[in-house]
Amino acid sequence: MTVFLQNLLGGLSIGSVYAIFALGYTLVFSILGIINFAHGAIFTLGAYFTYALMGGKFGFNGLLANFSLGIQLPFWLAAILAAILAGGVAVAIERLAYRPLRRKQSDPLLMVVSSLGVALVVVNLIQYLVGAENYTFPGNTYGDLPSAINFGSTENPIAIRTVQIIIFGISGLILAGLTYFITATKYGKAMRAVAEDPTTASLLGIDTERFIMLSFFVSGFLGSIAGTLVGSSFGIAGPYFGIGFGLKGLAVIVLGGLGSIPGSVIGGLLIGMVESFVPDSGYKDAVAFAILFVILLVRPQGILGQKLIQKV
Amino acid sequence: MNDFLSTYGFLIVSMLFGSMLGISLYLPLMAGQLSLASPGFYAVGGYIAAILSTKVFVTTGAFPIPLLLLEMAIAGIVCGILGIMVGVPALRLRGIYLAIATIAFIEILRILSLNLEITGGAVGIFGIPQPFSSPIEYLWIALPLLLLSMAFVYRLENIRVGRALVAIREDELAADAMGINPTYYKVLAFTLGAILAGIVGAVSAHFLNTWNARQGTFDASIVYLTFVLIGGSRSFLGAVLGGMVFTAMPELLRFAADIPNLPLFIAQFLRDGRLMIFGLLIVLGTIFFPQGLVPAGLFKRSTQREQKSTK
Repeated sequence: MTVFLQNLLGGLSIGSVYAIFALGYTLVFSILGIINFAHGAIFTLGAYFTYALMGGKFGFNGLLANFSLGIQLPFWLAAILAAILAGGVAVAIERLAYRPLRRKQSDPLLMVVSSLGVALVVVNLIQYLVGAENYTFPGNTYGDLPSAINFGSTENPIAIRTVQIIIFGISGLILAGLTYFITATKYGKAMRAVAEDPTTASLLGIDTERFIMLSFFVSGFLGSIAGTLVGSSFGIAGPYFGIGFGLKGLAVIVLGGLGSIPGSVIGGLLIGMVESFVPDSGYKDAVAFAILFVILLVRPQGILGQKLIQKV
Repeated sequence: MNDFLSTYGFLIVSMLFGSMLGISLYLPLMAGQLSLASPGFYAVGGYIAAILSTKVFVTTGAFPIPLLLLEMAIAGIVCGILGIMVGVPALRLRGIYLAIATIAFIEILRILSLNLEITGGAVGIFGIPQPFSSPIEYLWIALPLLLLSMAFVYRLENIRVGRALVAIREDELAADAMGINPTYYKVLAFTLGAILAGIVGAVSAHFLNTWNARQGTFDASIVYLTFVLIGGSRSFLGAVLGGMVFTAMPELLRFAADIPNLPLFIAQFLRDGRLMIFGLLIVLGTIFFPQGLVPAGLFKRSTQREQKSTK
């Protein structure tokens, strides 16, 4: 029972991170119809930004060896600032790399290819600047808390790691906030309108370009928060750690249904749960990809996606 | 001349391998499908050759060429079957699914090769026997293989199958309406690419002498993609030339970094920034040369008209 509960909460907590990360893919996909492969790099970037803003010191390699910002912000402030910065980077990427392609009305495939190039540049730039070392956040990142909380009685303890509760809480808050933003605010509605049909939306007086930028910003923001949460609890495993996470995110969005916002959340939680119930082994990371293949075989539109019938 | 060959033999053969990997990615691209699986099949081919030559065909002295050819054939067949298995579920669908499925494929392969005993785990397989005494002699295998695959693709582009692939690239729905079965042709192109990558992998394992999970990674996929995209995605010559130039590029950059009086930070960037430069080339290339540097129909008479009609 205890193990079951621990696995369940562990799954929910990593699953909720998958969910907010995958939402970043989904927002961009629903508007531009492309998979933004640079999203995994933004995840990495967010984790490094938070690390630096909390006063973390960089290692011996790279141009910024032994550099530290000299300010020590509290975790929550650093995480938010990092997310805003990463959102800015995502917007910059959109303007520099994708917008020229949209202007020329190129094949969407080229935008996907370009995003692969962007991911390569960002990841290697990080490596060039701060080296390939692992970085860990200080032990009291979230404040002075016990490492586990006991939810059972003293005879029958059900200990849950505090980190997992915090991650689950933060992700839950972000998900709630985002849902409110998308369903209830004017901006969210406009964003959905652009996703539905950019031409009609612009005829109705919505500045399409502005909302594309907004969705890239939100996407980068979410990616960065996910990176910060994973980085602060498990450590930053070098500049490439976001790439692997980014690839897993693909399994999440295919499982939930490409372009479906609730689908990404369900897909993220499901993959998180399945992973946490799989016994620890070297094969654990392959589970998400195996699920992806099964979904492609049996239900390619995903759990909540709709079957698209293409018309001329 | 001998000096030159012994210094650059390794690079020259690597360049030919690069060309063939470029072609293997170019084949699905002919039908407008972005595949990132070539490094995966390349890795599978290499593991097959490495395992067979170190565990099954144990020989002393130089490794016999017929056995090498046999390994190449086995690698090609296995990769062909794998190609169909990966291709069919992903290619029944339109859009970006092939890219996603091939990424999942290379990740699963990477994880398997890191964990299985037969692939030597993270260390990989060592001491793969050599059929030749020096790297340059691998040209005996690599050059005919490249010429053969070039002739094959050239021919392919001019027959019904090639025209069907181009029709699918231009408009899958219209092609479907014309009676072309898109799934069949897309899987065919993808599988041909898989077979070629597997065969190249088998030779490459002998050539490199050791084989491990680093051979087929997400990074490698993007690098191969650069070969084709910058070289030219509308002509197989683009893939061939792109493969050669970009395989040699790290070498060229190192050469450029040794130019005297170069500011230190530029020299260092040229040495360490290879992947950044590849990434930038991809981003700029898609904007300014969406069809690559080698134009479509270099060998065809109706060049002008065709270039206008392609997007």
